[in-house]
Amino acid sequence: MIKLMKSRVKSKIMWTLAAASLTCGGLAQADEWPTDNIRLVVPYSAGGTTDLLTRKVADLLQKELTTVVVENRPGAGSTVATGQLARGGRGSDHMLLMASPGHTIGASIYPNLRYDPVEDFTFVRNVINIPNVMVVPVVSPYNTVAEFIEGAREKELSFSSSGIGSSIHMSGELFKSMTKTNMVHVPFRGSGEALPALLSGDVDVSFENMPTVYPHIKSGKLKALAVTTAEASEFLPGVPTIREAGKGYGLEDFETSAWFGLIAHKSFPEEGIDKLQAALDKVMASEEFKNFLPQFGAEAGRVSGDEFRQFIESELQKWSAVAEDANLKR
Amino acid sequence: MENFSEVMALFLSVDNFLAIAAGVLVGVVVGAIPGLTATMAVALALPFTFSMEPVTAILLLVGIYKGGMYGGSITAILIRTPGSPASACTLLDGYPMAQQGNAKKALKTALYSSVVADMISNLALIFFASYLAKIALNFGPPEYFWLICFSLTIIVSVSGSSVIKGLIAASLGIILSTVGLDAVYGTQRLTFDNYNLMDRISFIPLLIGLFAIPEIIDFYMTRVAPHVRTAVAGASLSWKEFKGMLKTVVRGSFIGVIIGAIPGTGATTAAFISYSEAKRTSPRKDNFGKGEPEGVAAAEAGNNGVAGATLIPLLSLGIPGDVITAIILGAFMIHGLTPGPVLFQENLTLVYALFCGIMISSFVLVFVGNAAIRYFSIIADIPKTILLPIVLMFCIYGAYAVNNSTFDIGLMLAFGVLGFVFNRTGMAAAPFLIGFILGPMFEDNLRRTMLISKGDLSIFFRGPITWVFVLLTVASLAFAIRRYWVTRKEEALA
Repeated sequence: MIKLMKSRVKSKIMWTLAAASLTCGGLAQADEWPTDNIRLVVPYSAGGTTDLLTRKVADLLQKELTTVVVENRPGAGSTVATGQLARGGRGSDHMLLMASPGHTIGASIYPNLRYDPVEDFTFVRNVINIPNVMVVPVVSPYNTVAEFIEGAREKELSFSSSGIGSSIHMSGELFKSMTKTNMVHVPFRGSGEALPALLSGDVDVSFENMPTVYPHIKSGKLKALAVTTAEASEFLPGVPTIREAGKGYGLEDFETSAWFGLIAHKSFPEEGIDKLQAALDKVMASEEFKNFLPQFGAEAGRVSGDEFRQFIESELQKWSAVAEDANLKR
Repeated sequence: MENFSEVMALFLSVDNFLAIAAGVLVGVVVGAIPGLTATMAVALALPFTFSMEPVTAILLLVGIYKGGMYGGSITAILIRTPGSPASACTLLDGYPMAQQGNAKKALKTALYSSVVADMISNLALIFFASYLAKIALNFGPPEYFWLICFSLTIIVSVSGSSVIKGLIAASLGIILSTVGLDAVYGTQRLTFDNYNLMDRISFIPLLIGLFAIPEIIDFYMTRVAPHVRTAVAGASLSWKEFKGMLKTVVRGSFIGVIIGAIPGTGATTAAFISYSEAKRTSPRKDNFGKGEPEGVAAAEAGNNGVAGATLIPLLSLGIPGDVITAIILGAFMIHGLTPGPVLFQENLTLVYALFCGIMISSFVLVFVGNAAIRYFSIIADIPKTILLPIVLMFCIYGAYAVNNSTFDIGLMLAFGVLGFVFNRTGMAAAPFLIGFILGPMFEDNLRRTMLISKGDLSIFFRGPITWVFVLLTVASLAFAIRRYWVTRKEEALA
């Protein structure tokens, strides 16, 4: 009886081994990327703008490629999740991260970061850009960027932000350093807290994200002086760029925006990058994506691959200089 | 009237009712599980709403929000583990009640106070939104500063037996709340170069550690397991009893509405202010903290009063008052809607359909809440030798789940030890918690005020709102000091 059972067990093991070897063979043949689900990491908490945008992109991307699982891993700006991606290891060949200005700003202001924000990563594609808008309260005496700068040279004005190191804060610091004006930074915890102080005129200006201030510009409670991007935004017709409006005040090279793009570990398979870029092109050409963008006052990302990498390098240079200037390097 | 039929056409659909019911149910269950917060549930539900009708989508999220507000009180009462920060206040009297065999009564008190507060909050949203929104807009940094000062005076009333010990605990809370990056200059404070501490000490691990873990340590140290059949056999809540508390509930609801309408202050503060007011005016002051049903009612009314009111700045100004409403704002935007004055002009029908749904959600909460009480109260009958290890597991999971961080588990356990020391030395955990929550708000607003005014102190008294809160702060302090002397005299005489 025992013998019989033993032989049964033996034959079961044999069958299992045979089946396993077959599957392995199968896997070896179908070696094409992706061999697994894609994990897309959001380096911020669930529910924020980055999270919302990422989930939409993930949703569209998986229709083109394979299942995309979104994970939130917030902490220390975005540097905790980015550091984990940089370390690589198992599964990093299917792991992506939605990078945003925090990637370069974080690298400019956080001390002893354990990764290189450029060398440790592969840059897949810039997917979405959201302009910031230079807004003043309706009670403000300033109606143009030039008037504002003149005002700021006469007396100390204040600018609000959603927190230290945010793209809103850094845009203000950049403006300050390029125009050689002296503005006081008044940080809040999130745009929700910052808005009332701006609407009531407690602070003089902000370089807020478009979706936050758009309804208030439309309802006439805020005046949009300029957009921070290099080109004017279709959502605010008639509103100039800071570059145009600040001519003669040292703002000719001014450009900031909240950008969002996918990055991966440096040893991410090349084949995967190609497939991802192709899939993202399709996603970004889709009607659904195009219809989605206006809700956030957003524009489709422009750069991909090496150009995206160069963009990151220039951002890094810009913010390092600003951080140095504003004494933010910690 | 034409509008009325349009609103009904938009609102009366099976999907909407299902969304409300599902939302409230998910909210209650998630809110009751330590570490899983309504915020997380709303964030995770958001992608599922992309394909829904806008009204349905938002009602689902609002349902979760409201359910979560109540759900947090269930585990706070039954196992001293607040499911959400706001229910930490409910625990002060809810848990002692459960220990005395009155779990059912505590849960029902919490439920009905929540429902009444929720309805008052909804009515405030529907009828006074534009008026309250104006007040909210007048809240600049100096106004916030005085509001926080007033809120800090409640430390005295939740200090338990000794005001001095309460102040020590509160100071400790304030000191720990400074850990992380300084908000204005970004300097590191007490972080010891540790990345995990740069974003400040995470709130949920602190909460779980402070309240749930000491009970577990205590049990294994003393090994006394008086197995009281608490839940099922316990007395329920009679209408007469609830009528007696109605004044407290209504007052708490109004406090909740006002706090909720001001962005960024939060349900926890409202719950504690309401609790403190109830205690101040109650003839049974000394029973607060020892199992006083009115304490539970006040806390729950305060935190649920916030739920409808936070939608006021969101809908009328487009300003999210807390994380959850920020996510709901995202949901509006995904559906191409922009909250703010424009919403009322362009989508009035939708706004009223939402209001209908929000009102219905309060009634749904009665049913879901009662069902939840029936099933969750089984917890109270599980022997502690089996229950506590499970609670510990949930605590660890809950602490981890917030940021997917193992560091937070260690943090939770450390706060557990601190909470245990608090218990043994007769220090109350509530003042510590209030210090931890309000400390940063106090500092931030003080500094913002000074930055805005460029050092001019007159800004602190710039308008009627600041004066109202200055007077409230002074009155509250005077009352606290008077009471302190009276008690000392009484003690000296006795």
